Amino acid sequence: MARPDGDRIVTIEALGLEKRFGAFAALRGVDLKVEPGELLALLGPSGSGKTTLLRTIAGLERADCGQVLYEGIDADTISLRDRRVGFVFQHYALFRHMTIADNIAFGLKVRPRRGRPPRAEIKARVEKLLELVQLQGLGGRFPAQLSGGQRQRVALARALAIEPRVLLLDEPFGALDARVRKELRRWLRRLHEEIHVTTIFVTHDQDEAFELADRVVVMNDGKIEQIGSPAEIYDQPATEFVYEFLGGANRLPCRVEAGVALIAGTRLATDLPRDFSGEAIAFVRPHEIGVTRPNGHLDDLAHVRSILPIGPDARLDLEHQSGHIEALVPREALDAAGIGVGSRCAVRIARARVFRASS
Amino acid sequence: MTLALDTTPRVRRTRVLPGFRLTLGITLAWLSAIVLIPMIALVSRAAGVGFDGLIATATDPRVLASFRITFGASLIAAAINLVFGSLLAWALVRWRFPGRRLLDGFVDLPFALPTAVAGIALTTLWAKHGLLGSIAEAQGWRVAFAPPGIAIALVFIGLPFVVRTVQPVLEELEPELEEAAALLGASRLQTIGRVVLPELIPALLTGFTLAFARAVGEYGSVIFIAGNRPGQTEIVPLLIVTKLEQYDYAGAAALAVLMLAVSFVMLLAINLLQTWATRRHAR
Amino acid sequence: MRAERPSLVDPWPLRIIAGLLIFAFVALFLALPLWTLFAQAFAKGTEAYLRAIDEPAAWSAIKLTLTVAAIAVPLNVVFGLAASWAIAKFQFRGKQLLTTLIDLPFSISPVISGLVFVLLFGLQGWLGPWLRAHDIQVIFALPGIVLATVLVTFPFVARELIPVMEAQGTQEEEAARLLGASGWQTFRRVTLPNVKWGLLYGVLLCNARAMGEFGAVSVVSGHVRGRTNTMPLHVEILYNEYNLTAAFAVASLLALLALATLAAKAALEWRGRTEIAS
Repeated sequence: MARPDGDRIVTIEALGLEKRFGAFAALRGVDLKVEPGELLALLGPSGSGKTTLLRTIAGLERADCGQVLYEGIDADTISLRDRRVGFVFQHYALFRHMTIADNIAFGLKVRPRRGRPPRAEIKARVEKLLELVQLQGLGGRFPAQLSGGQRQRVALARALAIEPRVLLLDEPFGALDARVRKELRRWLRRLHEEIHVTTIFVTHDQDEAFELADRVVVMNDGKIEQIGSPAEIYDQPATEFVYEFLGGANRLPCRVEAGVALIAGTRLATDLPRDFSGEAIAFVRPHEIGVTRPNGHLDDLAHVRSILPIGPDARLDLEHQSGHIEALVPREALDAAGIGVGSRCAVRIARARVFRASS
Repeated sequence: MTLALDTTPRVRRTRVLPGFRLTLGITLAWLSAIVLIPMIALVSRAAGVGFDGLIATATDPRVLASFRITFGASLIAAAINLVFGSLLAWALVRWRFPGRRLLDGFVDLPFALPTAVAGIALTTLWAKHGLLGSIAEAQGWRVAFAPPGIAIALVFIGLPFVVRTVQPVLEELEPELEEAAALLGASRLQTIGRVVLPELIPALLTGFTLAFARAVGEYGSVIFIAGNRPGQTEIVPLLIVTKLEQYDYAGAAALAVLMLAVSFVMLLAINLLQTWATRRHAR
Repeated sequence: MRAERPSLVDPWPLRIIAGLLIFAFVALFLALPLWTLFAQAFAKGTEAYLRAIDEPAAWSAIKLTLTVAAIAVPLNVVFGLAASWAIAKFQFRGKQLLTTLIDLPFSISPVISGLVFVLLFGLQGWLGPWLRAHDIQVIFALPGIVLATVLVTFPFVARELIPVMEAQGTQEEEAARLLGASGWQTFRRVTLPNVKWGLLYGVLLCNARAMGEFGAVSVVSGHVRGRTNTMPLHVEILYNEYNLTAAFAVASLLALLALATLAAKAALEWRGRTEIAS
């Protein structure tokens, strides 16, 4: 498939989208700008509104409030046919009474007579797409005769056949087993580099989002928590929720005095206002914690519960007065300090992110 | 006809449940008494007329005419039900309108209403001075006591079949299929014609078959409205009754067996068609 | 959920055309026949209606219909329970054939269902001479009517129960057995409560058909007024005598039975849905 023309790649904007299903608020004011040609991930737990956002952008749901803009034009004024959205459903939604080739050709065959390519051209395009998704020679089969990964690629080829201005994928790998999922992920990344169409995909798997996407949108409870590159999201989670969702971080209750937090005996500057004092929650990743020999202070003293070697590092389970702490430290450091299971140690927090305790 | 039933359960595990021999025994005894033995009586009585007798019965002009009108009207009625039944099923599943639940319940009326009751109601409605009959008559159409009347009665009694076979399939149909088609640029009609309809074909065929089979054997609702003129509006079941009333048992049996045979062949053909239609869908 | 998906909404022109067609179809084939029925029954006022029903021949037809149903329905319930237990809970060769044979009466003409018993028990039937010698009357008498009714309604209960029992599986019964319940206890306390709505549903349909059957009964009854006339046959006689008000009055009773069956069916379905939901 040829690289799409410049005009095909569009900017998509969502402005103040709100959507309710009965009593359930699926979207509660979502603003998002999708850059032309980027690969964007909508990441969040189930019920966070990411699929609803994707479906609203596609035009499969109508927002109660707010707008979707395609290249600055209100999408409500554009028919589904003219939007040229390539959509891949979680369970593919292949037409099971049609062959693979007919599935892929569907979007071309249903065009009004004037815009419909001649038969031979449709055939040639189907062949090209089959090649693109590495299913050469399978055009005559029916969906039931293909594996899950193959069906997924047929769904993608069918979506690409209409030369979409934007490609939307709903949990594209959700129904596949782990091995196929990894393969397809890499393949999709390569495909995107090749055809460069603006792509948004929904996932609840952070590895998937981080590995594939140029930018990741983390959603929770109908709202966007953070937008950023995978590195930005990982290094600077913007909210408590993002920290919790990414997982792996210690959640330590602490006290803040004039903007400075005291976390397990370590004093650290925070982003909180200078005049803030009160209860707070600190998020500390295991590798941001160091241990040394006990130094006589009580407030950083911890008890070593267990040590699990992981390569050159070791995972420590520490019992501190503020709670349970997980640390990842080089094994050398442990040996040097003479720290073993059952011994005591002092905790050093190198970095932390502190949020006001909610209520 | 012998039943080769192996009464040992294939799966040993299920042996923990009691009553297999008892319940199967009751089932087979009752089935034999009520269904099998009477059917054997029918077939053997028909066989009594011999092959030539059967051919003679089949080629009798009055019989041929009755077969033509019975199967013809049944096909027409089943086809009408195919179209309107699927429309009705679509509306019941997809649209929200006041009275939907009530309508859904009323679809089964032809199942529940005794056929004779339906027969006299339809006849009165479509007779020359009836509410609809007078309108038809003004257009020069004869409905009651003419072939169209037979078809109307058969549409009535076959009405629920297509609706009730299509409805569950429509309810289970993934909405994503239609959304996919819409996003690929299909108009609503294209989506319905190219995506939804093919999914419904097996159910449509089943509904058609059931409506047709029911119509072929129907008696009660038809005899009132048909007029029952030999050679014109006389249906096969009525001819069987007539022969019976003339104590022509063998003739009645022969006719019954012929009718069963023709139905069987037609149902077989539709079944084959259905197998062919569903085979591609096999997952 | 589906109604909220905008791309699944049918455009208005389509809705209007399809809606009009459906309306016409429903009016012609459901609403108007039903309306005609009651309009004719009450055409000469309530008094004439009541007089048509309160009449010896009508009463005897009602009595006979109730008697036939009271015999035929329980017989088919016992059979239906036995058949569904054997078919749903056990694996055996020939099961498919057995299921097909049980469904057979659905696909044969009611006239044939009556005919087969005439061929067996009629004067020229297989057992005719013997029955006559022993002065037993089957055809043109109650036994014949019951037999024909049983054959016509044969599959109803079994057909409703088999899928319900199959869906239930065998684990609950097996658990009950392992806990020490006898076979009968298992059936009564575990199986029956699980299938009671399906059973009731089957009984309703079976009863409606048993009371309303015309073709099969007509063949075996002999139409002896006051003796072997069921309600549908009585309707036919009145109608053929041009006694329309009376015919429709008795017919309206049968129609009420049908409407009650539909209402009960709807209630059962609603009940089934809420029970599943809860």
